[in-house]
Amino acid sequence: MDTLKYILRNVSRNKLRSVLTILSIGFSLALMTVLIGYTAMQSVWKEEASQHHRIVVMNTQGFSGEVPISYVDRIRGMGGVNSAVPYSWFGGTYKDEEQMPFAQFGTDPQHVFEVWSEFRIAPAELDAWQDNRRGCVADRRLANRKGWKLGEQIPLKGTFFPVTLDLELVGVFDSPKDTDSLWFDWQYLDEILRASSAPTAGNAGTIFAKVAAPALMPKICQEIDDRFGSSDNPTRTQTEAAFAQMFTDMLGNIQDYIRNIGMAVVFSLSLVAGNTMAMSVRERTTEIAVLKAIGFPRTRVVGLILGESCGIALVGGCLGVVAGCASLELLHQLSRQFFPISVLELAGPWLLLLLAISAGIGVLSGMVPAFRAGQLSIVDGLRRVI
Amino acid sequence: MPDVTRAEGDPIISVRNVFKEFRREQMAIPVLNGINLSLFTGDYLALMGPSGSGKSTLLNLIAGLDRPTTGEIVVCGTNLGRSSEGELARWRSRNVGFIFQLYNLMPVLTAYENVELPLTLTHLKRKERDEHVRAALEVVGLTDRMNHYPRQLSGGQEQRVSIARAIVSDPRIIVADEPTGDLDAQSGTEILELMKRLNAEFDKTIIMVTHDPRAADEAKSILHLEKGQLVENPARNR
Repeated sequence: MDTLKYILRNVSRNKLRSVLTILSIGFSLALMTVLIGYTAMQSVWKEEASQHHRIVVMNTQGFSGEVPISYVDRIRGMGGVNSAVPYSWFGGTYKDEEQMPFAQFGTDPQHVFEVWSEFRIAPAELDAWQDNRRGCVADRRLANRKGWKLGEQIPLKGTFFPVTLDLELVGVFDSPKDTDSLWFDWQYLDEILRASSAPTAGNAGTIFAKVAAPALMPKICQEIDDRFGSSDNPTRTQTEAAFAQMFTDMLGNIQDYIRNIGMAVVFSLSLVAGNTMAMSVRERTTEIAVLKAIGFPRTRVVGLILGESCGIALVGGCLGVVAGCASLELLHQLSRQFFPISVLELAGPWLLLLLAISAGIGVLSGMVPAFRAGQLSIVDGLRRVI
Repeated sequence: MPDVTRAEGDPIISVRNVFKEFRREQMAIPVLNGINLSLFTGDYLALMGPSGSGKSTLLNLIAGLDRPTTGEIVVCGTNLGRSSEGELARWRSRNVGFIFQLYNLMPVLTAYENVELPLTLTHLKRKERDEHVRAALEVVGLTDRMNHYPRQLSGGQEQRVSIARAIVSDPRIIVADEPTGDLDAQSGTEILELMKRLNAEFDKTIIMVTHDPRAADEAKSILHLEKGQLVENPARNR
């Protein structure tokens, strides 16, 4: 019999108590995993965005303000800008599905693959899109999930825009990461909006531009904002990475609150687990006294108790991390717009951090009972029953 | 100084002018008052006396579980009062085997694992540990129950496992605090027979605290403690 076996036997001594402690630690760690995983997801998105030196132009009032379509050509003509396209979020419903089943954007088929130059599409399919005003292209993974074939009719009923688009899938593109996106011709949307005299006609939404070199991005962003600063629709231009960060920042304080609440939960759980350990050790006072009587040194007794508390916490932590990762993956499968990255791509040091937090809970919860066990007078411990 | 066997040579246990008092809040409560005692290898001493007379306290001091307030206790050549806690723990693991009234086995361990427990403190290899454990269980006649948990054993069997645990590391001294106190007459007799055998065949020095005159009769000598002082019964000692 070795020490580990003895610790495991003690953990299984009161199965219900151990299981409940493990589950409570596991549940809080699962919540922490989802939270930290989501933050990690945003970081990966931001890192990915920073690799392609794109900039995003939007109204200074944010998404509620307009960016006139005329800005696109003017930006495209600026020095250092390779290409620029309108990028207008549509947000329609598809058939009987819930709102925003996937991302939909109106853009410019002539130039969009210059801006997203890392995306790939068959030339014939690109030609087909450029020749068909009702045509659209979709991320291959989205098309596969939906079971779409070329020629598929895709009706999108607007929720923000009071119009319905009758699109036809004419191509699929390949992207490094799953974008869950469908692109259609911005002109098609604008024509329908003009026909219905909608006030939002002529609005590009946002403009994405590809810059020749990363070093040029700050200067070009400033030039664009300076150029349109005194117009009716002043712009706020930023890098795509900053744009991605903006979505994370939108959570702002909420994210801090959730993190702080998570830490508070972990701390209070440590106290609860500590109380459980203290009860468990108190019930074994005589056994601990016997161990010390037959020669177990204080360090070994402390090690046994800490090993037990850390064991429980780590098992709970591992279960929690696994459950949290499974939840993140489920969220990714259900909503790729908001959880764009699979947990398999996210795996990194943050998972070890969570396991370290679990071990920390174990140390914290076992510290006081272990110390008291170490300090226990053998004579007092034995007197409990003798 | 009671010298229970009057043997020649150095005593294995030497208690000299030992006083012990416990403090409760501001009050000092004397428990042992000037105890002097020498025991030699192979002695089998029964300590008797009324409750609160200091029997268990004296046993704890001799076993290195506690320290005297004043006086000197030398056991197996070690001055226990001058040893650190860590040194005492090491010393106990090598020199003393414990038998308790309520057996005090670990309920989550089998009989075999309970007996093996003291050996986990040694550097013995697994195979050597196995030999020691089987030998100890053989002595107490429980090899057929080695995979049973304490809850699956009778009180007498549990006490036999406890004795196997006490002797597995081959200590020179065995201390027993009311070893038959929780047993029926038949099991108590078996345990006393076993202890007598340990003393006679394996030359273990045994100190037993008991209230039971029948148990005390099995010892080679009896000492009475009254109000913290030893009162010898020379007529009984042999």
